[in-house]
Amino acid sequence: MDRRHFLKQSTLASSLFFVPSFVKAFESMSTSNLGYKRLVMIQLSGGNDGLNTIVPFNNDAYYRNRPKIAISKADVLKATDELGFHTSLRPLKKLYDEGHLTIINNVGYPNPNRSHFRATDIWQTASNSNEYLQTGWLGRYLDTYGNKPYNAIEIHDSLSLALKGQQMHGIATTNPAVLFKTSQDPYFKNVLRHYQDEHLSEHNLGYLYKTMIAAESSAKYIFEKHKTASSKQEYPNNAFANQLKTTSKLINSGIETKVFYSSLGGFDTHAGQLNSQARLLKIYAEGIEAFVQDLKQHGTFDDTLIVTFSEFGRRVKQNAANGTDHGTASNLFIIGNQLKTPGFYNDLASLSDLDSNGDLKYTVDFRSIYATILDKWMAVEDQTILNASFPKLNFI
Amino acid sequence: MKSRHIQHLFWRAGFGVTPNQLNDLVKKDKTQVVDELFSKSMQMNELTIDTSEIDHLTTKTITKDKSKQRDFRKISSEKLKEYNVHWINLLVNSEQTLREKMTLFWANHFVCRDQNIFHVQHYNNTLREQSLGHFGDFVKAISKEAAMLKYLNNKQNRKQKPNENFARELMELFTLGEGHYTEKDIKESARAFTGYNNNFEGEFILRRLQHDYDFKTFFGHTGRYDGDDIIDIILEQRQCAHFVCEKIYKYFVNETVDKNRVEELANIFYKDYNIENLMRQIFLSDWFYDEVNIGTKIKSPIEFLVGMRKTVPVTFEKTKDLLKIQKLLGQMLLNPPNVAGWKGGKSWVDSNTIMLRLKLPSIILANAKISIREKGEFEDTFEKYYSSKKKNKFVQVKVDWDTFNKQFESVSINELKAQLIVSKLSRGTETYLETLNQSSKQDFCIQLMSLPEYQMC
Repeated sequence: MDRRHFLKQSTLASSLFFVPSFVKAFESMSTSNLGYKRLVMIQLSGGNDGLNTIVPFNNDAYYRNRPKIAISKADVLKATDELGFHTSLRPLKKLYDEGHLTIINNVGYPNPNRSHFRATDIWQTASNSNEYLQTGWLGRYLDTYGNKPYNAIEIHDSLSLALKGQQMHGIATTNPAVLFKTSQDPYFKNVLRHYQDEHLSEHNLGYLYKTMIAAESSAKYIFEKHKTASSKQEYPNNAFANQLKTTSKLINSGIETKVFYSSLGGFDTHAGQLNSQARLLKIYAEGIEAFVQDLKQHGTFDDTLIVTFSEFGRRVKQNAANGTDHGTASNLFIIGNQLKTPGFYNDLASLSDLDSNGDLKYTVDFRSIYATILDKWMAVEDQTILNASFPKLNFI
Repeated sequence: MKSRHIQHLFWRAGFGVTPNQLNDLVKKDKTQVVDELFSKSMQMNELTIDTSEIDHLTTKTITKDKSKQRDFRKISSEKLKEYNVHWINLLVNSEQTLREKMTLFWANHFVCRDQNIFHVQHYNNTLREQSLGHFGDFVKAISKEAAMLKYLNNKQNRKQKPNENFARELMELFTLGEGHYTEKDIKESARAFTGYNNNFEGEFILRRLQHDYDFKTFFGHTGRYDGDDIIDIILEQRQCAHFVCEKIYKYFVNETVDKNRVEELANIFYKDYNIENLMRQIFLSDWFYDEVNIGTKIKSPIEFLVGMRKTVPVTFEKTKDLLKIQKLLGQMLLNPPNVAGWKGGKSWVDSNTIMLRLKLPSIILANAKISIREKGEFEDTFEKYYSSKKKNKFVQVKVDWDTFNKQFESVSINELKAQLIVSKLSRGTETYLETLNQSSKQDFCIQLMSLPEYQMC
């Protein structure tokens, strides 16, 4: 290390000693203890079958339509007289019993689209079904209220449309250490060291350099935050649980990230649904259990809201391959410690009054849920972000 | 013609130029160079892959057999991956440079996505065939493509229950642009496209019982129009020529529009809607070669990837790797994000993609190593950085450095810089490059490709 470099580091280090401890305490409080609210979005990709997730075990139409794949009444973890949880969701049932879970039934939107691709876009952009938006709803949140890419992080190797705004994009990383290593390539460091801003900033090339600098500093920031957090919580050994583990480490580090995004795929159960869905719901529920436990241990559960959705539910009637085809409205989970209406937010829609495809009719527009989260949880203007006004709900 | 201008032309009308091509072209004048570019693209070679496993299937054999349908879907989706790889290989190797670049452009204009390999293949070759032809014929052909009939739900558009999706996008995205038609125009024109359908083989069928033969009133005209008539009326609108020219200008010239130039082009295009003439006009103009237009466009991921492979030939041993790279860079061919297509420009680049873009040449060509050896330095300091890392093959590729060495044999290190980088180098970076030990052309090639400047064309 050369002398100048050493001096620089030591002044930086010593100046830290002079910061009065109450200021430091205040700084850490401002992010984790004074209501730095965070949102964790989880997408169950492929279209999770809502009816076999939250089971209407007293409904004849349910058993009539699904002779081979209905969950038997005896297996259901009963929550109310009508509805209960899939056997794999025991940990979720526990959260329900503790008042940490709100289930909103029949969430959808007008003129639903049954393509994974389009339906995912609609959910991620918060568009109408006949409207093609190029920015995600959380990307637009970043545009208006964010100032750094890491204000929204997706735990994945590429970034979803949901986190892409007009000017700002969130950042995607499966592993902060790998992201950091890439950004620390000595060649890039040398290039950046020599770079002088020569009024290039408005031009495309200047934009590339600026983005490169921002990426390097974001990678460093995320890595350093990630490094500081420790966790004693055991997580199951699978990719989904790893996503949640990384998320909790980041949250518990006090990182300035408002939104986390992750997903669990494989829910497109056209054939042999019973086994595959049971396996996936188990992965989901056990991951969530460890995650919530971890947040509780660090006192960050109060300020974290976990929302789980799927791009659509599935047809009421089973198909010939003991599976289900693409449907429409389905249930959505809200997990947190500040829920106003724990339990079931609303009743399940009728299983006999279906749309022309034999799918559930929606009663709650998913954008009403977004609007509520933006307004009541993130405390921002939902109309600016959603480009329209949606009636708000009172689950938080 | 000046070599810088040739490079500019070939980056915009293709994917860059090789040293041999350049040596040959600098001896010619602009008209000759442009003529040759067009004459080479007059021929059209279809892009097809081997589908013999499923060629025997017909509507009859498949309609009632669910398990055959499942098998077909499976094979088809594998074949689509193969088709993607073949398309990219074609972009690297084709002699019809301009035709291929135009095909890529139109694929992001008439945006479409489908799961059926036969229909995708047919659609792709229609784009290729029409790419330099008459715009009106082009739109009519697209309106009858199986893949498009499905993608924009025109198959569900029936007299009894019209579906307006195709009619809307036809005007909003393909021909006129938002705000240049009314909701009534959409309703009336949707009726003209009712009954459009296709069979399993992908051939167009008009289902007479579902077609609305009644009068429609569209842009002030009334008649018993079908879809082709509607397209003819759209072409009569000057706005259509204007809309297409502006999009072409943004893609081929500069994303910042010069209104007078676009107007000039629209006037020419409106006369005959001949795409070839329009492109020739652009490439022969003086303003196309203005400095503000050279090296100022951010390469699309495909331009970046194909351009790199034209300089250093690479064979991907696993289809999966090439698909993954496209996905991470944000542009997987045959998989556009939605009907509006990829936005392009700055939207290609964010904190996620910039690092990958800068790192990708070294990942593919040199196992992720970029030399930082400086002049007069014998010990590889960068080896220390990398030696701590496990030896790791990121992608399985065969890199053909022999061809590179042969191609660039007579090119000096300094010329190499001018060959690979069209954009102006930022001052600090230029200084840094000078400090590097430039004894290995291969190392220097990777260093150049790892600069932000290499992302520009």
